[in-house]
Amino acid sequence: MPKPADLLQGTLDLLILKAVSLGPLHGYGVLLRIQQISRNRLEIQQGSLYPALYRLEHQGLIAGDWGESENKRKAKFYRLTREGAKQLQAEAAKWNRMTEIIAGILKTAPEEV
Amino acid sequence: MLAKLRSSMRSMLRSILDRGRMEKAMDSELRFHIESYTEDLVRGGMNSEEAARRARIEFGGVEAHKEECRDSLGLRLWDELRADLRFAVRTLRQSPGFTAIAVTSLALGIGANTAIFTLTQEVLLKQAAVPNADRLRLLEWIQTPKTKIGSAWGMFLRDDQGRMTGTPFTYQVYRELRQHNQALEDLVAFKDLSRLAVNTGHEAESLDGELVSGNYFRTLGAPLIAGRGILPDDDTPAAAPVTVISDGYWASRFGRSAGALGQTIRVNDLPVTIVGVTAPRFRGMKTGFPGPEVFLPMSVQPRVIPRPSGSLLTNPNFSWVIIAGRLKPGESQKAAEAAMNVIFRNAVRATVPGRKEEEIAPVTLIDGARGLDTQSVDFAKPILLLSGVAGLVLLIACANLANLLLARAAARQREMSVRLAMGAGKWRIIRQVMTESVLLALLGGSAGLAVGYFGRGFIPGLFEQAWSTATLVPDFNWRVFAFGLGVSLLTGLLFGVAPAWRSTRADVNVGLKESSRMTSGRSRALAGKSLVVFQVSLSALLLIGAGLFLRTLANLRHVSVGFNPEHLLLFEVDPPKARYNTAQMTQLFRRMEERLAALPGIQWATLSSDTLLANELDNTCFRPGGRPLTNDRSKDMAMVNVVGRDFLQAMGIPLLAGRTFSAADTRTSRKVAIVNKTLAHKFFPNQNPIGKTFEPSCEEESEPVEIIGISADARYNTLRDEPPATYYFPYVQADEKVIPMGGMTFELRTAASTASIVPAIREAVRSIDSGLPLVEVRTQMQQIDATMSNERVFAALTAGFGLLALLLACIGIYGIMAYTVARRTSEIGIRMALGARSREVLAMILKEASVLAGLGVALGIGASVGVTRLIASMLFGLKANDPVTLAAAGAVLLAMALVAGFAPAYRASRVDPMHALRHE
Repeated sequence: MPKPADLLQGTLDLLILKAVSLGPLHGYGVLLRIQQISRNRLEIQQGSLYPALYRLEHQGLIAGDWGESENKRKAKFYRLTREGAKQLQAEAAKWNRMTEIIAGILKTAPEEV
Repeated sequence: MLAKLRSSMRSMLRSILDRGRMEKAMDSELRFHIESYTEDLVRGGMNSEEAARRARIEFGGVEAHKEECRDSLGLRLWDELRADLRFAVRTLRQSPGFTAIAVTSLALGIGANTAIFTLTQEVLLKQAAVPNADRLRLLEWIQTPKTKIGSAWGMFLRDDQGRMTGTPFTYQVYRELRQHNQALEDLVAFKDLSRLAVNTGHEAESLDGELVSGNYFRTLGAPLIAGRGILPDDDTPAAAPVTVISDGYWASRFGRSAGALGQTIRVNDLPVTIVGVTAPRFRGMKTGFPGPEVFLPMSVQPRVIPRPSGSLLTNPNFSWVIIAGRLKPGESQKAAEAAMNVIFRNAVRATVPGRKEEEIAPVTLIDGARGLDTQSVDFAKPILLLSGVAGLVLLIACANLANLLLARAAARQREMSVRLAMGAGKWRIIRQVMTESVLLALLGGSAGLAVGYFGRGFIPGLFEQAWSTATLVPDFNWRVFAFGLGVSLLTGLLFGVAPAWRSTRADVNVGLKESSRMTSGRSRALAGKSLVVFQVSLSALLLIGAGLFLRTLANLRHVSVGFNPEHLLLFEVDPPKARYNTAQMTQLFRRMEERLAALPGIQWATLSSDTLLANELDNTCFRPGGRPLTNDRSKDMAMVNVVGRDFLQAMGIPLLAGRTFSAADTRTSRKVAIVNKTLAHKFFPNQNPIGKTFEPSCEEESEPVEIIGISADARYNTLRDEPPATYYFPYVQADEKVIPMGGMTFELRTAASTASIVPAIREAVRSIDSGLPLVEVRTQMQQIDATMSNERVFAALTAGFGLLALLLACIGIYGIMAYTVARRTSEIGIRMALGARSREVLAMILKEASVLAGLGVALGIGASVGVTRLIASMLFGLKANDPVTLAAAGAVLLAMALVAGFAPAYRASRVDPMHALRHE
């Protein structure tokens, strides 16, 4: 198995938004889902997840409610707000455009210049 | 973006307000994560101890992540602020002396500014208490060389081009304008009335009132708290007379009883029924305090304030009503003005048929938000001056605090060096030091708001006449609060910025060394010394102002008035014209004179149309021998005072030649007058005027008046002017045409105490006519004092503030000298070891203190030359650069500087050389 890639600067917020857009999750659940959908190819500092969650909640992009976890314990579940959905769409579009441009640049062969 | 901001604010507030729950939640959330992970690892086959360890390691530092979470919630700034505040409170507690001086000086400075702001708001800014007051406009005419205004009653001013302007119009023009008005919203008319005799059945009192058009209450939206307003139906000649009274009158006469509505009171003898009460905040449409107490419909004018010439409502030539209306929403001032000029021309043409086109005055629309503004003209300058003085005091307090804080910053240099060495950011340190000064400023500001709140009636009280009963207490509203807060924050920044900046400049290497004491002393002392010089110069400025006003007051007090003002009791009587024609009035005054003179304790009882030294004056043309007028109006004018028979004797004005009035001078005998010396010189140079005649009118042929005596000069309307040419005319000979007579002032010469006989006087007047209110009972000395109220206010405030400034300057000098001496202990020790005597050291330090003070005084005197010119017109008997005042202010400051510098100097002279050198 190749060593998981480090997260690009500023992408954690986008990943969290995507993760909770698939259904409400607690903090640990967010971590698991990101690992699951990235097929363990991304390395996430577990502790640094929480400042990001708090920041997104602070900005009103996600909202947290206390509920019961699958192992019958009290946990805080985050869900995407309407504001957050808009933000996710905008960020995703921006990301796609960016990767396209970068990929295009990187694909450029010498004779094309 | 906005939604994010709103959410952030909400989330931050929530976490601040419910910090405990937020911390607990964060705790359990992180714990849940670690425990869930541990469980997963155990499920994967790891033993539980190892799993817990792995989970903790992979999670990372819990405390660090928590701090980042708090940061995410914006709590970090808050936490730091709290820490800064705690630290600031602790430092301030540690030096209670410093804190007390700082808070007290700020409280006085901010308090003074707040009090003056409440006054400014009340006197210069307050709008009429009606909706959309800012759209209100008043009509004003402008007199051009050709325009004819006719007779007018009201307020006239000069505009910036020197043209006369006025707000009164004829009632006829108002009717026409209202009918054809398209320029503004509906037009209302009003007229302020003073001294109406209002009688509820027991005793008459004298109140102000307002005549209003029938649409006034509805159109303006004047607030009522009981009953109804005056309606259009009330404003017809046939309607039963009604009145709306003020809340103040309702409270004082009827104890706010609902039974007042429907009651009948008599206003200048006209029975009127009370139909409503205005709200306390509504003070009519003319600036002033307390405002009208009774509102009456226009239609009662002929019965309430009758004029010999007939009803003013039908007189097409007499201008007297004020016209107001709101600008239509969205309409420009210019368009409204143009439209108004068109209908005004038509209105004049319709009401005064003979008026030529070029004789019709142009009209403008002036700001009516405050109603008819009669106050700004009189008070704008004094209030501006007071604001300046208060601002100066605050500036001095700021300089003082900056200086004290600079000294502390120097003392804390090692602490700052340690902080910087340990990695504190400069901005972080500035923030911490600024927190301290802003906290100090807010403490001072709260105390200052309290000072302003309790002192807000003080300055208006100084302006008021000693005998007036109504006291203006300015509003204390959120604007004042905002002002106080703003000023506090601003001062905090102002005096805090230099010390804060200074603290970050600490050189870490130098600051941490033991022997750093000498290195930064010089520049710090220079900054401190400049502040002290600045402070002394501002104090000098205030002291010079105080000196000028005090000397003006003293000069005014020593003016020889030309009569004996002691033991003179004054009061006013204004008999209602509806009941008293001239002949009846003469009879009434005669009876009052006799009745009052017979009272025990009264030596003389007399009366006059003008009260002396009360800014009252009446002038007429004076044509000796009936000669025609000259080209120079001022050469034809003389002052006239219509007086009682014994006026000269009662007032103590000496008769120089001829005779005084006697019982032989009656309504039917030859008309006589006594002239003063100045008049004799002006109109009869090198002649004996006795036996000569003059005519007291400008145009008409009138009955000649014979001069029967010459009196000495007495000051007339004001203490400041030399007595003008004046003649005295007996009231028994007054007539409506030439020298009319109205309200009179009675002057009673009393044997001893004046206060004890006032009840007897009231009783005597009531026994003659119970409907006659006795107004403004006061002594002549109080009357003279009242004309000096501006000077007195300025003398009191500049002297008070000047002393405060002096005290602050002393603290400043003491502080800087004590600091210098402490810094130079070793140097002084060396000097003494080398043989300097303690007297020499004492002199050296004192010299330094006096150089600082001297520089400040010189700067202050220099500045005063420019500034005192602004008050030159308010001074009397001295110039604005009065050398005595300048020298005295300088001397006081220098002396105080020596006193303040003495303690540090004495300490320096007692330095023990051995001790000082070992100290290093």
